[in-house]
Amino acid sequence: MELSLNEKRLLKALEQVKSGDPDTLAARVGASRDQVVQYAMLLSDRGLARVEKTADITYTLTAEGTLYAREGLPERQLLARVEGRVPMAELTKHPLSRIGIGQMRKKGWITIRDGVVERTGKDAPGPDELALRDLSLGGEGVRELIKRGLANEEESVSYRIAITPAGEQAAGEGLDLSEEVGTLSREQILSGQWKDLRLRRYSLGTLPKKVYPGKIHPYQRILDEMRQILLEMGFAEIYGGLAQSSFWNFDALFQPQDHPAREMQDTFFLKETVPVPPGFERVRDMHVHGGTTSSTGWGGGWSAEKAEQCVLRTHTTSLSIQHLVSHPEPPVKVFCIGRVYRRESIDSTHLAEFEQLEGIVMDKDVTFRHLLGFLKEFYGRMGFEGVRFRPGYFPYTEPSVEPEVYVDGLGWVEMGGAGIFREEVRAPWGVRYPVLAWGLGVSRVAMLRLGLKDLRLLYRTDIDLVRETPSWHPASPPGPGGE
Amino acid sequence: MMAVISLYYRYLERMTGAGRGEIIQRLPMFGSDIERVEEDHVDVEFFPSRPDLFSVEGVARAMRGFLGLETGLPEYRVTPSGISFSIDPGLACIRPYLGTAVIRGISLDEEAILSLMGLQEALHWALGRGRSKVAIGIHDLDRVTPPFRYIAEERTRTFIPLDYDREMTMEEILEEHPKGRAYADIVKNFPRFPLIVDARDQVLSFPPIINGELTRVTGESRNLLLDTTGTDERAVMTAVNILCTALADAGGRIESVDVSGSHIPTLAPSTRLVSCAECNSLLGVDFTPEELSLLLEKMRFSAEPAGGDKVRVGVPCFRADIMHDWDIFEDAAIAYGYEHFRTEIPPTFTIGRAHPVITIASAVRSLGSGLGYQEVIPFTLTSERVMYGKMQRPVNPATLCVLHPITEENTMVRTGILPLLIETLQFNRHRELPQRLFAVGDVVAGLATFQKAAFVSLHPAADFSEAYAVADALCRELSIPYGTEGSEDPAFIEGRRGDLMKNGRVVGTFGEIHPAVLNAFELEHPVAAVELDLTAVPGYPSGLGTP
Repeated sequence: MELSLNEKRLLKALEQVKSGDPDTLAARVGASRDQVVQYAMLLSDRGLARVEKTADITYTLTAEGTLYAREGLPERQLLARVEGRVPMAELTKHPLSRIGIGQMRKKGWITIRDGVVERTGKDAPGPDELALRDLSLGGEGVRELIKRGLANEEESVSYRIAITPAGEQAAGEGLDLSEEVGTLSREQILSGQWKDLRLRRYSLGTLPKKVYPGKIHPYQRILDEMRQILLEMGFAEIYGGLAQSSFWNFDALFQPQDHPAREMQDTFFLKETVPVPPGFERVRDMHVHGGTTSSTGWGGGWSAEKAEQCVLRTHTTSLSIQHLVSHPEPPVKVFCIGRVYRRESIDSTHLAEFEQLEGIVMDKDVTFRHLLGFLKEFYGRMGFEGVRFRPGYFPYTEPSVEPEVYVDGLGWVEMGGAGIFREEVRAPWGVRYPVLAWGLGVSRVAMLRLGLKDLRLLYRTDIDLVRETPSWHPASPPGPGGE
Repeated sequence: MMAVISLYYRYLERMTGAGRGEIIQRLPMFGSDIERVEEDHVDVEFFPSRPDLFSVEGVARAMRGFLGLETGLPEYRVTPSGISFSIDPGLACIRPYLGTAVIRGISLDEEAILSLMGLQEALHWALGRGRSKVAIGIHDLDRVTPPFRYIAEERTRTFIPLDYDREMTMEEILEEHPKGRAYADIVKNFPRFPLIVDARDQVLSFPPIINGELTRVTGESRNLLLDTTGTDERAVMTAVNILCTALADAGGRIESVDVSGSHIPTLAPSTRLVSCAECNSLLGVDFTPEELSLLLEKMRFSAEPAGGDKVRVGVPCFRADIMHDWDIFEDAAIAYGYEHFRTEIPPTFTIGRAHPVITIASAVRSLGSGLGYQEVIPFTLTSERVMYGKMQRPVNPATLCVLHPITEENTMVRTGILPLLIETLQFNRHRELPQRLFAVGDVVAGLATFQKAAFVSLHPAADFSEAYAVADALCRELSIPYGTEGSEDPAFIEGRRGDLMKNGRVVGTFGEIHPAVLNAFELEHPVAAVELDLTAVPGYPSGLGTP
């Protein structure tokens, strides 16, 4: 128990006077009345002083009340004008009639019949008029005056501060009244004065003000973590445009021109067009009859015009295939994390745009088993221990696989799609080796990690979500070397 | 985008010869998602590539193989019906292709009829692309008289459509009948409409819209006529094959129809000679041709070693998805069991390399948090009202608009980030002050994509000096040698705004947001703001992001 200097000063004063009111003590301690009360409360908490609080209520007249105390209430003044039967019309000419007539009726002093006013004779002064003469009477009369705005009630608190036996004892043991210092000055640090200073002590019970550090969005941290994992696994990052031609978004990925995803209900089309690139004929042939592969193709026609129409990319695979076209020699290992678009009505589980993480591995002798191995490694590094694989379907991969991860409380959760690029996809560009490909809706991982039920919250940010989500959380998977 | 098929247990168990528990447990590993398990049925999603699984009959056939109860190619006998069907050459540019078959001796109970209706609906969706590519009609053969004719008819021809009791012209049907209104777009622009009539000129069907009431199929129907019409011959024939094999499994006898000299359907398998070595190198396994054959038989192919590493595979007529040898190898992988593959990390050695655009974005993020700003990740889709109207800015001529927006809030791709940050302040106007937010990400100018970063600070003392200090810090930290010029940007207060200049180009704007903009976004305190074009950062690659 360490007393502050102010508490000690007050205790010292109390030791001399034993008890007193704040004003007297304020003069002795050299502080304001309010400060003395504050120090006394602290001493009281420690059992060194006793603070008795008494509340006194005093009444005062308002300016209007003071006027009526001199001249009588409006109804009393007006009553004097009622001599016998007075026409209402005449009485209303009086300046106090507005308040007076109503009050006279309410108090039963007069009757009004057929526009004529007459006294009832029952007009002795009520409690309000008595209180107006002497506020100390209090009671019903004063309450009435307060209600009419003629008087005010004031509560004044007074304190009586007395030393306790424990306080006597503490004071008796001697009090060090040397000065305390709040902030260390440069001067004090350099000169060595600090050795003689008493530094004010702070209470751990007083909670600090909350400060919110500037920080990276929790969703972005998850994206950064995935990016880090892929970089560590030796992938190069690619980046590209949000607007893509249908050729690169669909045709080059062997998505037939009448595929439902290519209808305007599902994809954001743009009015802009981009010419089909050199070599488009091989893609066209692949669609029509399978080119030189064992494929039959989709049959039917193929329209360059349809391929030229631009869309907001529906997947970042449109970037992977273009990278592959410009890098047909093995090995290729690239990934991309980027915004993709679907023409969807927005609700808690559907968005028109979201992030996709997507990557490919092209090399001699890579197989389906390598694809599964890669997926298992990636999800394991993301903190998902249980991974299983089920058959899937995507127009541009064969075989196709749907990886699932095990989440406590949810069971097996689908985590994107993967497969090996169909020969129809790679053959037109002279890519001779298998291309392992996979994509992942990252927002699903983010929802699991952040415990969100509504996808929209990732993008339509409530800044309290950013403020309250810890930068590091035990739910985050172990970092590199932490396993 | 998958088809959900209801499988009724009694019928499914009878057709499969296995219990519902085993079927439901194994279906996911065959390539489907169990949607709901109900008391009398299970709803299962199948992939659009497998329309042959859109019926209880098809699922039972596949599961018999997958569970090892009956393997190899299912045989379907087709005998000639002696019935012929002619096609009017006038249909060539309207709806040229016709598939057909006769099914005799059928007796459909309630669950079989439900399965058939579900199959027809799912085929219309997945194979028929909403009936435009293929439409299916099933008729009670005993109500009409062969031969049949598929003709291009006057739009004013009348008949009684299904579910009606009066004659209507085909034009009236498109306007009044619910199916007419739903599918009118497919035919309405043709001068004549497709119609199927019998020898006595009675109407069977107005494809792809509606059948006639005359040939309605009921529980009493014993002999059926099938028609599939469309614009894609392969899809039209696949639909016939899938329906006929399902109806044959349900107990029907399939008979062919003479269409312009060819007998349809044949229900004959096609043959592929595949390489076991190619399969092994795709899957990373070492199957022998014998092992591969056994696996494929489980998937209802016929398969036999054909010398060397070759395997001769008979592909059943209902498999629409077998386009390439690898489609067969995937089936081998499914039969082997995805759960049985020994996984392995790819041996490919490469060195990881971050993309400079993303590295620059990361640098901005670390600066933003260092400056005490919190990151937000706004949408890239927005509206001209938010991007320009509320900002008092003129519409950018390089705005990229989407052609068929769903809502007024999502009509274009953002050309800047600042308006979205200010909108985020609006969403958060009841949150504690000060609020300092930033965002970094893609914007577009026409078809080109590049990155911008924006910063806003909202509190009672936010002012020009704060914005200038942040702009200066960003440019210094990102090594952008910059100058300033007075700005004309109407989103900011005149005399409290500046443009960041690099090599004579405006690369950013900063200052105090105009009170009228604050009013438009319902903000109550001043906002200091900076927006920076990240292509100004040295090392930002040029020529990226354009299709």
